[in-house]
Amino acid sequence: MRAVFLDWPGLALKSFYWLFVLYLFLPLSLMVAVSFKDASFISFPLGNLTIDWYAKVIQDKQFLDACLYTIMIAAATTAIATVIGVWIAMLIGSLRGAAQYVAFAVACLPAVVPGMISAISLRIFITTIDLPTGTVAIILGHVVHAVPFVVVMVLTRLRSMPGNLVDAARDLGADSIVTFFRVTLPYLGPAIFGGMIFCLLLSSDDFVRTFFLGGYRPTLPMLIFARVQSGMSPEINVMATLVLVVTAVVGLYAEYLTRRSRIR
Amino acid sequence: MAVGTSTADGGIPAYAAQMKYSTGIARVIHSPAYRYTLGAVAEWRYGRILLLAGVPVVWMLMMHIGPIYEMLRISLLSSYPPEPGVEANFTLDNYALFFSEKLYWMPLLRSFVYASIATAVTLIVVYPVAYYVAKVVSPGGRSRALLLLLAPFWAGEIIRIFSVIMLLANRGAVNVLLREIGLTDRPIQMLYTSFSISFGLVYMVCLYMLLPLYSAIEKIPKSLLDASADLGAGPFTRFRRIVLPLSRDGIVSGCSLVFLTCMGVFAAPILLGGPTTSMFSETISSFFHGASSRWPAGAAFAMIMLAASLVTVGLFMRVVGGSKQRTF
Repeated sequence: MRAVFLDWPGLALKSFYWLFVLYLFLPLSLMVAVSFKDASFISFPLGNLTIDWYAKVIQDKQFLDACLYTIMIAAATTAIATVIGVWIAMLIGSLRGAAQYVAFAVACLPAVVPGMISAISLRIFITTIDLPTGTVAIILGHVVHAVPFVVVMVLTRLRSMPGNLVDAARDLGADSIVTFFRVTLPYLGPAIFGGMIFCLLLSSDDFVRTFFLGGYRPTLPMLIFARVQSGMSPEINVMATLVLVVTAVVGLYAEYLTRRSRIR
Repeated sequence: MAVGTSTADGGIPAYAAQMKYSTGIARVIHSPAYRYTLGAVAEWRYGRILLLAGVPVVWMLMMHIGPIYEMLRISLLSSYPPEPGVEANFTLDNYALFFSEKLYWMPLLRSFVYASIATAVTLIVVYPVAYYVAKVVSPGGRSRALLLLLAPFWAGEIIRIFSVIMLLANRGAVNVLLREIGLTDRPIQMLYTSFSISFGLVYMVCLYMLLPLYSAIEKIPKSLLDASADLGAGPFTRFRRIVLPLSRDGIVSGCSLVFLTCMGVFAAPILLGGPTTSMFSETISSFFHGASSRWPAGAAFAMIMLAASLVTVGLFMRVVGGSKQRTF
């Protein structure tokens, strides 16, 4: 019955959706295609194909080093941001009224401030507290950026938690610390997991904070940025393709896990 | 032996009752090491408050408010980083500098225009997509349809900007295609122009529009649409009178997010833009590079940009969002 009313608008919407999907995927697929090009410059049509560029990139020490560095920073960021984010969410969840509103606004502040300004203010801040630019400063910057997202995700889950679970645990003699670790934390599990994946992607993608807080050792986005500026070759396409594949696998796996936990 | 005594007593000894049902956690909380430290804190009312609020409050004051406060303070100083022998005074000169030269305020205006255009284009393009996923796709296929739209965004900012170059370069896909069909005989300069920046911005930020719109449209009850259809409203009337007003929250938060992100982009104008399209982020960053330290002026410019973008978003929320109180 609905089809009678919605037939042509529905069809138009459907084709628009697929056009949009094409728009999203086209540049990325072109980028992947050029990574197989048998020439040292980027142009179309592709011509002969080769995997020589892959062999070259895999042996590129700078690239491998940047991969390791990115993973290390992302892991540290995720660990710290998750703990602090859950802690802040627990505090906001226990507040009422205006205090809750203010705490939530302050907790979300780093997500609302434009990236460039956040990076500049952190650059000034680490000079004030006498922290040199480098690994620690990058991690600090990434954590500040990631915490609000963890807070929002955990808080959403926390608000759906039945209050009597905590009351029951307290009645049965658990103190508040034990209740948190044995009741609240397991309940928050899926939200925390989602937040952690988000932190990983956020940290490994981040450019502007790393650019201002980093030292001489580049992370992957920094390396690709520097290579794009110094002259393009299919080598960059190979690096970008490898990153694309890894992030897609991580993202899809996380999506699969959250969907499975939702069905259960 | 222990078993024998307990049955003779007719009761269960305390230690057996404790250990039989206890897990690892219980062993921990009954140990003196826990009871006299964390356990004591958890028993004491102020200890609990300290435990809950201590780290979050310190973190938020230091890391969320601290950097912005520090930036504001330095933007009012005459010199920074502090040097021996030079006295730093409070001054408004850094803010005056911004208005003194076209070289400085023009990029902000340009950033503002690009961000506004990108926001408008993104809203118009993404709205039908969000509507399609939220209302036309069956609930079972919804998460898959959404996943298809999310997946390209895992690639990250720099890689997505780089992939736009593949499309728009002089020997990129679009130009080659146009030449093949015979529409042009020489490549059209698309990269390093304002077109490539706008295109890249929209390509970078459309996810931030999609998610708020989707969650707002999904909440609209289907019964309202059915009822209005029964009462004779056509697709356009239904859209204008029901879907659009009820998705206002999503429009407001999506537009705010996209606008703020566009104002703060740094890599896109550098990689996709030319000398005539430099944006305010580049102006600000130039104060922080090189040996000549002009940090106070850079901080002042960043404060101006922050204030300008927040005021714009605030006004937009006020005008479009109505009087309703919003959390985020």
